[in-house]
Amino acid sequence: MAPSTTVSQRKLIKRKAPRGFLRRVFKRQKPHLRLGTGGDLLVHLNCLLFIHRLAEESRTKACEDKCGVIKKEHVMAAAKVILKKSRG
Amino acid sequence: MADSYNPDSEPTTRTLLRRVLDTADPRTPRRRRSAWMSAQKATPETHSSNRQNSGTKTTVRRSQRIRSVSKSAHVQASRQLEEQTPRTLLTNILLTAPESSIVMPEPGVKPLPTPKVAQSSRRESSRGSLELQFQELEPSITVAPSRLALGKRKQRLRLSVFQQEVEQELPPSHEPCGNADASSLTSSLNLTFTTPLQPQSVQRPGLARRPPNRRAVDVNAFLQDIQDTSLALAAPGDNLRTPVATLPTDMVLEDTQPFSHPLVGPSPSAPPSLPCSSHTGAEDVVRLVRHGPQCSSSGVQNKMPFQDGVHEAEEKMEESWRVNKEKETTTQRPAGMEESEVHTEPEPEGSLGTMDISGKAASPELASSIPEFLQARQLHQLLEQAPPPSTAALSSEPLEPQLTRHPPKARTPSSRSRQDPYKIGLNHYMKFFTFYAKMPMEKKALEMVEKCLDKYFQHLCDDLEAYAAHAGRKTVGPEDLELLMRRQGLVTDQVSLHVLVERHLPLEYRQLLIPCAFSGNSVFPAQ
Repeated sequence: MAPSTTVSQRKLIKRKAPRGFLRRVFKRQKPHLRLGTGGDLLVHLNCLLFIHRLAEESRTKACEDKCGVIKKEHVMAAAKVILKKSRG
Repeated sequence: MADSYNPDSEPTTRTLLRRVLDTADPRTPRRRRSAWMSAQKATPETHSSNRQNSGTKTTVRRSQRIRSVSKSAHVQASRQLEEQTPRTLLTNILLTAPESSIVMPEPGVKPLPTPKVAQSSRRESSRGSLELQFQELEPSITVAPSRLALGKRKQRLRLSVFQQEVEQELPPSHEPCGNADASSLTSSLNLTFTTPLQPQSVQRPGLARRPPNRRAVDVNAFLQDIQDTSLALAAPGDNLRTPVATLPTDMVLEDTQPFSHPLVGPSPSAPPSLPCSSHTGAEDVVRLVRHGPQCSSSGVQNKMPFQDGVHEAEEKMEESWRVNKEKETTTQRPAGMEESEVHTEPEPEGSLGTMDISGKAASPELASSIPEFLQARQLHQLLEQAPPPSTAALSSEPLEPQLTRHPPKARTPSSRSRQDPYKIGLNHYMKFFTFYAKMPMEKKALEMVEKCLDKYFQHLCDDLEAYAAHAGRKTVGPEDLELLMRRQGLVTDQVSLHVLVERHLPLEYRQLLIPCAFSGNSVFPAQ
């Protein structure tokens, strides 16, 4: 018995992946390329991990400044580091 | 249990009550209740229910009834039946209450004990006990009507007060009598019991002052008229009639018709008498409709005479009104209408007739919902239809605003659509960011995160393209993604991609990504 190729029966998934959005963005950027099966899910995973790292870094930066609120400067500094890391 | 003061293995309120009854002097109901309350408070029993009110006693009693059915209670009841005193009634309650609750499925079927119980229950109600009343009135309740007690206490209190008065009047006269009086009392009191139910039922029809059937009938009448007129339309010569039938429907369905007046003003070129009459009739119908549902009935009646003589103007009015109703954006149209009059071209009436038929078929639907495609279709109909120059002014007025609105409507959303879904998609990830950050953030910081995400997506796509090109493929596959994550440092020798997938993605996606073996020598997803 093979499972369904689509997502399981229950339609309500918490933390859904915006698959349509991701496909659209990829198409807009690289119209000559195609995104394979499950590719957008891995892209979503990549985004999650990127945001996770970015948030952690911002939080660290804000804590370094002994600030209870994440400010724009913290985010900018964190983004510099993380984007460099995520360059691939 | 004997009548003596033997405390039971578990001192219960029942025993306390018996003690009170045996010892206390016959007093007025209120005093007795206070005595009971004091008696109850004096003895800290181990019952969960609060003892603050006399009503609690009944709750406790209720629970007791469930547990035990004392046989001696029968003895006591029989012994005390002769004298119709509050005490006897109370004892009857204690003894016979459980039986009554079990025995009486319906208030009508009341054996002898039940009248006593009813009476005693009423007595009790006079003392503030409410649950028995509930049991009597609602025999379905058996065990724990505490909820009901709480909810209906206020109603019952009034009833109890009333019954207090009744009992105080009646018992002295009927005291020497026996159960007969009790039954009569109960019967009389039964009536009193029923009365509270009746006013409630009476109240409901009173609330529904306005018969709701009126509107339904009108709608049906309208639909029938539509059908009649549609059938009449089959004969091509009756174009004039159709709008009359549909016109009132549209008018009834619509809230306001600012254009009824301008419609009345200009008279169509064709038989002026008919259009004038129809216009006035339409106007009247409109006014009636506006005034209220009552007018709709009269409006229905008014429709009939109009069916005879209807001009094309009526059609136009109806079409325009239908469109207006669909749009639900009735704004200043007179200016627009005049312009549309110039644009619209006259057309053969046959097309108008066909349009009307289709329009009428749609009008009932429109009454319920306003799908946009119907709007477009009707707009097309309106555009295609060629109202005579005289009537064009009437009908064009509502047409023009919608026509002018449609093109700008079509344009503006497209420019917005490009921006919004992208923003919406980014906001989706912003939520993750705020969740991961676990700290309050500034709005500017969030905007900064948006820009970062934007840059990230660009980098991502470029990298994937590079990897796919390096592999000589035109499709980006999972292996490219894994390579990307490896280069990013997310996937290491210790941490594999599957581990990350399992950590961060929900089950449904995990199933799609990680190959798993199933029965029958099958692996999903296939590799």
